[in-house]
Amino acid sequence: MPQKIKIESLGIQLPDKALTTEELMAACRHRPRLDLEKLTGIAERRVAVDEYAADLAVGAARKALAMSRYAPEELDAIVCTSISKHHRPDEFSFEPATAVLVRRAVGAKKALVFDVVNACAGLLNGIWVLQGLIRSGTIRCGMVVSGEQNMPLAWTATREVRHSLDRQLAALTIGDCGAAVIVDGSTDEKSGFHWLDLVTGARHDHYCYSKPSARGGGGILITKARGLQIVGNANFPAYLKQALDATGWDVNDLHHVIPHQVSVRAIRQGIKAVKSYMGCDLPDVFLCHAEKYGNTTTASHLLALHDFMLQGRIQSGHNVLLVSGASGIVISHATFTLDDLPERYRAHVNGRGPG
Amino acid sequence: MRHCRIESLGVSPPRRSLFGWTSHRHAVVAGKRCLAASKYRPADVRILVNAGIHRDGHVCEPAIACYVQHALDINVDFHGRRTLAFDLLNGGVGMFNAAHLLTAQMLAGEIQVGMVVASEVNTDRRPDPESTFAASGAALILDLSPRNGDGFGSFVFDTREENADLYTAVVDLKPARGQLIVRRRAELEDAYLAGGSAAVAEALSRDGLRPGDVDLVVPAQISPSFLKRLPAAIGFPKEKVADFTATLPDTLTTSVFLALDRARAAGDLGPGKKALLLACGSGVTVAAVTYQF
Repeated sequence: MPQKIKIESLGIQLPDKALTTEELMAACRHRPRLDLEKLTGIAERRVAVDEYAADLAVGAARKALAMSRYAPEELDAIVCTSISKHHRPDEFSFEPATAVLVRRAVGAKKALVFDVVNACAGLLNGIWVLQGLIRSGTIRCGMVVSGEQNMPLAWTATREVRHSLDRQLAALTIGDCGAAVIVDGSTDEKSGFHWLDLVTGARHDHYCYSKPSARGGGGILITKARGLQIVGNANFPAYLKQALDATGWDVNDLHHVIPHQVSVRAIRQGIKAVKSYMGCDLPDVFLCHAEKYGNTTTASHLLALHDFMLQGRIQSGHNVLLVSGASGIVISHATFTLDDLPERYRAHVNGRGPG
Repeated sequence: MRHCRIESLGVSPPRRSLFGWTSHRHAVVAGKRCLAASKYRPADVRILVNAGIHRDGHVCEPAIACYVQHALDINVDFHGRRTLAFDLLNGGVGMFNAAHLLTAQMLAGEIQVGMVVASEVNTDRRPDPESTFAASGAALILDLSPRNGDGFGSFVFDTREENADLYTAVVDLKPARGQLIVRRRAELEDAYLAGGSAAVAEALSRDGLRPGDVDLVVPAQISPSFLKRLPAAIGFPKEKVADFTATLPDTLTTSVFLALDRARAAGDLGPGKKALLLACGSGVTVAAVTYQF
């Protein structure tokens, strides 16, 4: 039985400023006629002001370290999984790796550092990478961190969107957030990650991409949303079932499913796809808060974990399934049982005020 | 003890052509050559990591590895045999990081075969004069060596984040389609040499080796001046350091493996020989690892 890893600590850097979908749509030069809030269920998202992607990553990393039993210099690895490397205005940074900037900021003097980029599946991919390093005995503990300043893509969309079927509409659903986890080996058989699997169906690599705009400044996010959703929903339920089977669970063993918070509507359609595949009704275990934060890309699952732990819905001992779909197309699933993290997290956050 | 080894190496070296090759084309050509020389079929590749930094059109999503996986026809459909493709970015040492990760996954029993690709190109229509470099590609297939002792030794990464500003590469998003801006400060080579000295000493120490046990050092071909100063910095005689800078410019992430391919073709490395591979990149990170052929 391979060694299990667990989430030892969590940190979320959520910007204070909220921007409503109505305000964002009002900023569009050519406002599409559709009601984006009604279509997606996203009412607002957070926007980083005077801080950039690296700052969000560093903020989250510091918060994760603040509740961790590990000191910065004890971290053996830092893997940064951000997609949006907007570390300064109107710039996208490829070098140095963002993980180097996090290491410098937190003082993790001996940490192995590099970036892993795999669209919205990046954070789970980063945890999978650390799992291999821990299981092989290469490291003892490590941090996966993302600082997602996605809003520059949304601002480009407000300038370039022309109509209700524009392929940049999905860029109007994203939001900013930083997230970090520290993972190490689980000390008991019951808690920790039971299954963590990612698969790339590269035949579908054309449904979503991001690059600098050809029409003017800024970056763009192009999404063929309908095709992406059809292919994703046709394929992910089988992998979800495989994750449950490999863990030895059925749907009734699940306390929570945390899907990638793409939109409220996308999550509902995903639930329908699973129901159809399973051929049975599902318990009400799917958590959704996309209406409050939009799609925070790689930070999405950890932001949901943070939010629902603070609400008291996620408790120690609960069985959780993470589901992610990302451009590529990458489908990923993780099952884990929580140790006392929810109690420790609530005590930590409430002890020093909301994070 | 079984080690991870390079089962196959494919390269797409810098070339002159009327129409510049894209980063994708270099990666795919290197990948196809690597697969052609391998005993493995594309479907055997469980993990594909792209460690290249500079990509066509500065695409940042999806992972460039997905495009390479598609072009190489490696388990492109869902269900059946599966492949995970992702990008790993860490400047010039990215391919070393990827090989290190795949080694860990193999030792953990997660995978049997992995592939690392990298390619570099600046496709800007009007490139910044200081941000040009020779386009190239390289690909490795890695597996566990069938013979004890062959393959990679201990990977050492020496990161000095206080020097993080000595090498930066950003895409300026103000002009249409963006423009790549690479900036190297004058002290960069000194930082590489200082990191290289420490990393080489640590790599040799971890594997219980002395400089005399190594047949050839294969470093990144940063520049003629760097290669001239490197032997003294790492404590090796000049003739034991592979210097191809007269014909092989710095190609960033692919540099060490293009040089390794040259050294193998020249007969300097082969069965029974021991090499020391040395990569340098932003961060500033210098990576060193011994390799037993």
